[in-house]
Amino acid sequence: MSAPAIHDLGYRRYEGARHGAREAWRALFWQGFRAMWGLGRPFKAKAIPVFVAVVTTLPVLASLTASSVSGGQLPIRYGMLVSGQLVLFILFAAAQAPEVVSRDQQHRVLPLILTRDVTRLQYATARLAAVWFATFTLCLAPLLLAYVGEIGIAKNPAVAFKTMGSRIGPVLLYATITSWLFATVGAALASLSARRAYATASVIGLFLVVGAITTGLDQMAGLSDTVTVLLDPLRTLRTLAMVLFGETTRAMELTPPPPVGVLLAMLVVIGSAASALLLWRLRRLRV
Amino acid sequence: MSASGTVPLITTRALTRRFGAVTALDALMVTVPVGITGLVGANGAGKSTFVKILLGLVAPSDGEAAVLGHDVVRDSQAIRALVGYMPEHDCLPPEMSAAEFVGFLARCSGLPATAARERAADVLRHVGLYEERYRPMGGYSTGMAQRVKLAQALVHDPRLLILDEPTNGLDPAGRDEMLALISRTGHEFGISVLVSSHLLGELERICAHVVLIDGGRLVRADAVGTLTRETGTLIIEIDGPRDQFIDALGARGIRVSDTGHGRAERILVEIPETATTADVDTVLDGIRDAAVVTNAGLLRLERRRGQLEDLFAA
Repeated sequence: MSAPAIHDLGYRRYEGARHGAREAWRALFWQGFRAMWGLGRPFKAKAIPVFVAVVTTLPVLASLTASSVSGGQLPIRYGMLVSGQLVLFILFAAAQAPEVVSRDQQHRVLPLILTRDVTRLQYATARLAAVWFATFTLCLAPLLLAYVGEIGIAKNPAVAFKTMGSRIGPVLLYATITSWLFATVGAALASLSARRAYATASVIGLFLVVGAITTGLDQMAGLSDTVTVLLDPLRTLRTLAMVLFGETTRAMELTPPPPVGVLLAMLVVIGSAASALLLWRLRRLRV
Repeated sequence: MSASGTVPLITTRALTRRFGAVTALDALMVTVPVGITGLVGANGAGKSTFVKILLGLVAPSDGEAAVLGHDVVRDSQAIRALVGYMPEHDCLPPEMSAAEFVGFLARCSGLPATAARERAADVLRHVGLYEERYRPMGGYSTGMAQRVKLAQALVHDPRLLILDEPTNGLDPAGRDEMLALISRTGHEFGISVLVSSHLLGELERICAHVVLIDGGRLVRADAVGTLTRETGTLIIEIDGPRDQFIDALGARGIRVSDTGHGRAERILVEIPETATTADVDTVLDGIRDAAVVTNAGLLRLERRRGQLEDLFAA
């Protein structure tokens, strides 16, 4: 510990480069990305991200092992694998998005950021991009692991790559659209509250309530599967996974799902609406 | 006070801001010169609104304001590189270290990552934070927190510092150090300072100018020296027969404005503003003679100096 006296050294003029808004955007983005994963933070902040990442990749490892042991007899069902992880992806976005979006409000850092080379729009897009990219890496990890693993355990990886090469498209597309939905909804709801606990609860609550309402409507009004699939974003995502990876369930055999384009459009629209809510909120937030 | 050819620090013209039915700033007209300037006003006088307009956080409803020649609405981006802001409220995320936080904000001002790290270390040393800067800020004392807040305002090397109640919550020693730091930053590094405070004694110590606002309007803006110059009141304290002394003064044509009543032996005499030096000497001689005649001990005889507190009484 130094003496409490203030010493007469240290201040120098800064004559170096200033990169303006570009550098500021990058700083906001990477600081947000690190906060999403708890990097450079105490162990407590890493608990949820690490837990979710481990739990979502374990079933993939199990599938790969089973497939490898059976000599490829047990296929790796990407759609089934990733459908079971959706709730964990939501948990990640719900618990971590407030780290990026709510905390600046809670600790009143916003006036300090917004009086620098950052407009409100730049702040909002940088924070949203950070939440999305972190969620994207999380969603991509199990799928990419399954994809690389499947090629790796094949008797002849070169041949396997030839037959499977085109599957990287659905892998990337599915990780992108899933993270887009969860990140935008998570960030938008988090921006409405300065308290992390409320933000987390509202994100998880929203998906639960929408799912419950859809089920309720289904039972009371007897909606067709086509409608329920589009009403509940989680069902939309599950169906999309099956369709994209060429898998089917009994229900899908009975009622053919809506075309991929419709499913994608639905998710893009919901995510865009959530992004618009986030931008609107950050634009009129009094600091 | 500003050197000829220098752009004034801040100029406003009919600056107005309304929040619904409330008028926070009412046609404020003020020019703030380069140097250290105090911004004084009671709570709700419009200080924060004024500061937020200068920073571009709040848009004016009417009128204009310019910082270092840049209009706050049209040129707000240009102002941002030139201004450092230390808010009154807490603004430090508890889980971040000071080094990380100040470096992050430096990058938000456009400094490249490496330069931002070095600048953060530099300014934290300047405000007196050494090894502590790597610890999470949640464990900092009020004094350390205030220093970090000052450091982040300085990290991008601004031309103007806007400090909102920088001594709030500090003990007397911490207060002195903070004032010394502000004073040195203002005088030695050529950075102008606009500092708000409700403690006038502090402003008297470090500011060259004072701007007083009340009810969103300018009450007075002047150099501190002008505001605290000698007034036309003489303070006399005697030890002895006070009534006879006052009578003796009256016999010599000296009008007593305040006999002090029961309070101490203090007697006030007003000298008219038109009085010449010779007139003042005549009065002083009269007081001396009155003391001699009544055999009173003259304990004190001096011109009263103006105090910034008087501005509020006005």
